[in-house]
Amino acid sequence: MVRNLFHVDWPHYLPDIATGIRWTIEFTLVSFVLAVIWGLVLALARGGRVPPVRWLAYGYTELFKNIPIITEIFIIYYGLGQVGITLGTFSAGVISLVLFYGAYLAEIFRGALQSIPETQKEASAALGFSSLQIIRHVVLPQAVRVALPGTTTMLVDLLKSTSLLITIAAAELMNQAQTISSETFRPMEVYIVVGAIYFAMCFPLSRLALLVEHKLSAGVALSPMRRRTLRLIRSRSVAAHPVHWQ
Amino acid sequence: MTGLGAADHAGAVTIRQLRKSFGSTEVLRGIDLTVDAGSIVCLMGKSGGGKSTLLRCLNLLEQPTGGSIAIGDRTIFDGATRLSHRDVVALRQQVGMIFQSFNLFPHVTAAENVILAQTVARRVERDAALERALNLLATVGLSHRAAAYPRQMSGGEQQRTAIARALAVGPSILLCDEPTSALDPESTRDVLNVLRALAQQGMTMLVATHELSFAREVADRIIFIDGGQIIESGKPEQVIDHPERQRTREFFEHVQS
Repeated sequence: MVRNLFHVDWPHYLPDIATGIRWTIEFTLVSFVLAVIWGLVLALARGGRVPPVRWLAYGYTELFKNIPIITEIFIIYYGLGQVGITLGTFSAGVISLVLFYGAYLAEIFRGALQSIPETQKEASAALGFSSLQIIRHVVLPQAVRVALPGTTTMLVDLLKSTSLLITIAAAELMNQAQTISSETFRPMEVYIVVGAIYFAMCFPLSRLALLVEHKLSAGVALSPMRRRTLRLIRSRSVAAHPVHWQ
Repeated sequence: MTGLGAADHAGAVTIRQLRKSFGSTEVLRGIDLTVDAGSIVCLMGKSGGGKSTLLRCLNLLEQPTGGSIAIGDRTIFDGATRLSHRDVVALRQQVGMIFQSFNLFPHVTAAENVILAQTVARRVERDAALERALNLLATVGLSHRAAAYPRQMSGGEQQRTAIARALAVGPSILLCDEPTSALDPESTRDVLNVLRALAQQGMTMLVATHELSFAREVADRIIFIDGGQIIESGKPEQVIDHPERQRTREFFEHVQS
């Protein structure tokens, strides 16, 4: 059984696998960055002051959260093609992922923004912070910490969802696997190996996200400037009650 | 800075016929009050009487619905005046506020709370802000807690940090909205000691409080607010010990017992 795995001429297919990994990563990165921006726009629109904009954003998120992503991909690639809007596989893939994950990220961001108590905004306003300064220095730094776990879950989920783009022949990893499998008649080995590659991409990503999360909640400075400030504060602070640092 | 410089706001507060409604509920019903520069006024009275709302009108956290307010010689609110966003920001740098629930920024340390107030509101350079933050924390007795996060501090420590943070912006008037109502007696004492020291340094202060002994000792004047109106006002011993109105008498009998 194990020896059978070697019946696939892996060195021969290495370039195809590499291409698949490259496309999977490209789909993931481009879609994720755009989905985060789109999600933020939607979240702000839902929390905004203009009722019609709020309703539109609400309708959008509900719609896209409740349609399978595969259906979306088909509508955007095949459906739009039928009515004369022909998209390349990359654009169609990215658009589908952005529309879908934007809706989910919007929910995460909205929750995070709402979790910041009104009293925080009041306290900063009372110090003479402008509205923009309140968002930048008080709301966002706290909201990011709240949104981080959900957002990284979505990143890993998005990476896995790129495999659905096999249906529009997007040349990503799953698509390559299918080709190799049909050439070698060895689906078991091929898909196990590809599964392992997905795992090797996703698992470190989840761990990394968890690490950042822990560092943030432990108060570890991520920027060199803050690290320097904290060091100065600690060295100047009389250690009558030592504070625990990780 | 805009036209609202420090000198304009230094000192006095003049409130005339101030009104504030939330929907159909009128919370302030014609408040008249003059506070001299450097004096301490304690606002007393039942919860829900309008003390908080009055304080929150003074830095425009609430927009009044009628009357007028002047800080120093600048009118910050009347029927005709609506400050620009920039002027409101400048006003709030002159009129500091501390809250019952402290409201420190939970994601940064005590010292960084005080630094942030300066670097953001006053655009003070970071190292200078750090220096001043540590000095301010020392004056409120928290040198040893500079590197602590709010969640690691007691309520009293948080409130004293909040006072340091408010002072960092350099206000000439400090509004205190029940600063010790959420604290145990020991923390209350620490916080009141800090406020007492501030009073001696000539800060104009309006303090909503239920602390009789503090009011008696520190206040130049006590105003008793009930139902959105000042129903009694005067020297502490006069208002607390010899109140003229029945409702004031009942309140203080209740508080003292």
